[in-house]
Amino acid sequence: MSNEHVTEPEVNETQNVSPLDDFDTAETVSTAPVSDDSILDFDDDPLSATSVSKKSLVIFFLIDTSGSMKGKKMGELNTVMEELIPEIRRVGEADTEVKVAVLTFSTEVRWMYSTPIPIEDFEWARLRASGVTSMGAAFKELNHRMSRNSFLSSPSLSFAPVIFLMTDGYPSDDYKEGLRELQTNSWYKFGLKAALGIGQEANDNILAEFTGSKDTVVHAYSGGQLAQMIKIIAVTSSQIGSKSMTLSDDTNHELGEEDVFAAKQKLLGQQIQELVSTQTDGDDVPFDTGW
Amino acid sequence: MIMFNGFSHSVMGASHEKTNLVCQDSSAFKVGDHYAVAVVADGHGSKKHFRSHLGSKFAVEATIEAIDRFYEDREALEANLPTNHKLIIKNIEKQIISNWNMKVEKHLAENPVTDEEKSKFTPEEFEAIPPESYYGSTLVAGITGDNYTFGVQIGDGSFVAIFEDGRAVMPMEYNESAPANVTASVCNSNAASMFSSFYAPNRKLIAMYGSTDGLYTSFGSEHDFLDYHTIITSQLVNLDTFKEIIKNNLTKRSRFGTEDDISLSCIYNENLLKDRIDLINKRVAENKKAAADRKAAMLEKKV
Repeated sequence: MSNEHVTEPEVNETQNVSPLDDFDTAETVSTAPVSDDSILDFDDDPLSATSVSKKSLVIFFLIDTSGSMKGKKMGELNTVMEELIPEIRRVGEADTEVKVAVLTFSTEVRWMYSTPIPIEDFEWARLRASGVTSMGAAFKELNHRMSRNSFLSSPSLSFAPVIFLMTDGYPSDDYKEGLRELQTNSWYKFGLKAALGIGQEANDNILAEFTGSKDTVVHAYSGGQLAQMIKIIAVTSSQIGSKSMTLSDDTNHELGEEDVFAAKQKLLGQQIQELVSTQTDGDDVPFDTGW
Repeated sequence: MIMFNGFSHSVMGASHEKTNLVCQDSSAFKVGDHYAVAVVADGHGSKKHFRSHLGSKFAVEATIEAIDRFYEDREALEANLPTNHKLIIKNIEKQIISNWNMKVEKHLAENPVTDEEKSKFTPEEFEAIPPESYYGSTLVAGITGDNYTFGVQIGDGSFVAIFEDGRAVMPMEYNESAPANVTASVCNSNAASMFSSFYAPNRKLIAMYGSTDGLYTSFGSEHDFLDYHTIITSQLVNLDTFKEIIKNNLTKRSRFGTEDDISLSCIYNENLLKDRIDLINKRVAENKKAAADRKAAMLEKKV
């Protein structure tokens, strides 16, 4: 004998819906908004063992750890990155789960952790400098990992990533080949890209090739500037990157994702340039004159 | 005799509350004679799919009606499944789409598009939308018998199955080129050919779940997603009391996750579950330890 037991497909009762003649209504559950927060808190909910994931934003830091970064540059960078983590943590507090992935490149390319780390768990590992500047290899490695099959495998929805490059010199490998590979990556195409040149040797044109715009390239010539610029870029790009934007044109038609990302990148350039123009040089000693 | 049972629930996403959209998801389960069905559907909810909350409801109804029809002669169906499962599943998919289109046509005939619904489009834009698109929806449907399980899917959504070994698996193989992984819909003109399906013969099922993508996207990892279903399975022996906890948890996942609608539908074998409950509880404990090990490995610095 058939043991039929059918739940009614759930519909909002305010809609004009025909009754389901052929369905036994075993139960009808209201899907009305839940107003009482207390029902969401259980001490005895075994399902709370698996946490709820918000929309995530991964910030990729690509950091030059070649020999020319040795000394004050690397010391300052380590210090400012340690200070920066709590500031980025605040960006993600509301609606976004911010994760950080750090790729260092010198003679070899190496990730600080084997996967992007939620910002609340992230601890900076102090970096040391030596070797040459394998920027092209770093671009290839980033392309390889910036994939649904690798670093971006989380089921939860993702904002396009923030990709922040910091270097003090000219690449020692074929960076153009690496960049060409990276430019085929959709996460790169839609990601927010910014770059910081450190000292006189860094080539802003190469950095602009990476970001796609000179507006998102800044330069630091001293320890004080390095701290300011890293904070400006990291915090501003995280804020813009985790912002849900919808755009409409003059006729009020929705624009596509590409337009949204282009608008975000443009906004990042504008904000970086505005913030940079308000920074003071102070009495800092330049990297290239005696540090 | 095998006793199947189940539950289903849909919650409205917070983002839909904010934009005054109704819940676009529908869900249901049915326990028949030696078979059970779990179905969820996610109405697309975007501008041109302005009746997709009804489309998802029709998709759920159409599926249960199609399955019932195929099970009218269960013995013949089950005798043919081992050798002809591809053809039979294909015919079920066609029947679902046919049922859905009939429901849409009937509803549209009885409820013509209103001026208010048209007002959001220019006349040219409105003319360009095929009428069935007003009702566009995904569909995820799992069916189990005494010793076999199969599922059909169009559009996104997930299956999780727990067979006799107590391990949670996603039985629908991910295939980059499978239409189910793109924005396929029951409203597509070639919808019947856009399904993905699986067939698992000669295996007893403890529990199977179908869910809309709002559930999957509320997790940080696929491991967590699978573990969640194992935990639910461990509590199904007390379904009456646990049902409220599941409903509240789905609400919490929607509210604090991606704010999307979430639907979860489950069917399970009560006898086998009671028999294997110790194994399921063991799997829950193993999963918890494995999650802790994964986190420790993740936090290990490499430089």
